[in-house]
Amino acid sequence: MKAENGILKGELKIKGGKLIKCTLELHEGRIKNIKITGDFFMYPEHAIEKLEKALQNARFQEEEISKKIKEALKGVELIGVAVDDFVDVIMNAG
Amino acid sequence: MKLRLLLHEHANAYRNMAIDEALLNSGIPTLRLYKWKPSAISIGYFQSMEGEVNMDACKKYGVDVVRRITGGGAVYHDSIGEITYSVVLPVTMFPDILESYKAIGRCLIAGLNMLGLKAGYAGINDVVVNGRKISGSAQTRRHGIILQHGTILLKANVKKMFSLLKVTEKKIMDKEIKRVEERVTSIEKEIGNVKEDEIREAIIKGFQIGLNTELEEGKLNENEIEDAMQLVKKYESREWNFKR
Repeated sequence: MKAENGILKGELKIKGGKLIKCTLELHEGRIKNIKITGDFFMYPEHAIEKLEKALQNARFQEEEISKKIKEALKGVELIGVAVDDFVDVIMNAG
Repeated sequence: MKLRLLLHEHANAYRNMAIDEALLNSGIPTLRLYKWKPSAISIGYFQSMEGEVNMDACKKYGVDVVRRITGGGAVYHDSIGEITYSVVLPVTMFPDILESYKAIGRCLIAGLNMLGLKAGYAGINDVVVNGRKISGSAQTRRHGIILQHGTILLKANVKKMFSLLKVTEKKIMDKEIKRVEERVTSIEKEIGNVKEDEIREAIIKGFQIGLNTELEEGKLNENEIEDAMQLVKKYESREWNFKR
């Protein structure tokens, strides 16, 4: 059972050497704030801010997180990282 | 297409990144070669400054820190150990991002091979010699223009680099330094001391061959200088550098 409140941190080393990190604040089972950082490539770059915004208030549950990420990254080109890596790093944060 | 060649000397991190962004904004096909003084750490657009950089050590050694507009990892730009390149090209030349990384990589490889190295391509954005990294690059695209910038290592200083970047555990640091020292190489390490002019000349020829284009030495135009002067303020700001 995951915590409902508090700060969680996640880190994922991706095949090919890139790294994604995330720090998120949970409040009553929802993401209050999230920061996703790392040495990957995303085009256009400002899509990361859009992604973080889209995850605000999302329930901390894989299906919802995955859906929000897919929506936010529609049309965004990722290099060195895949959509599912973002889901993994968030869901494995502890 | 002709490529404008900008041979720049040392500048600080803020000015260097401001000029690269001004070049992207103006979109004139350009190859720029430059150096960093003081030495600096640049971090990728998506990285956390506090998460990656040992700010106390940077202050102590007088090393500047700056966030790039390009993704990728943290880089230590030594004032004597590196030549940096930036290249601006129309997206129509290389619509595919990975293809463009490779094409620009081929220019660097051609240049390094002219110096007598046996360089090759690795991963997404690296050039290696005998499997060891000698150059890393990062690219962004805006309004139909590609900006790619990257390093060419003249002399590696892995220990210095590690003292400036955050390493998770002190215990693994020595092991990690050794591991990275084994993974990184430099022109000096491979073929000894080569005059910087000779290296610059080889890189320029590499781009000439790789992009099948002529290069003509030029200068920044007035608009670019004006734009860069404005952009310096962004790169100097805490708001930009610590935004993630």
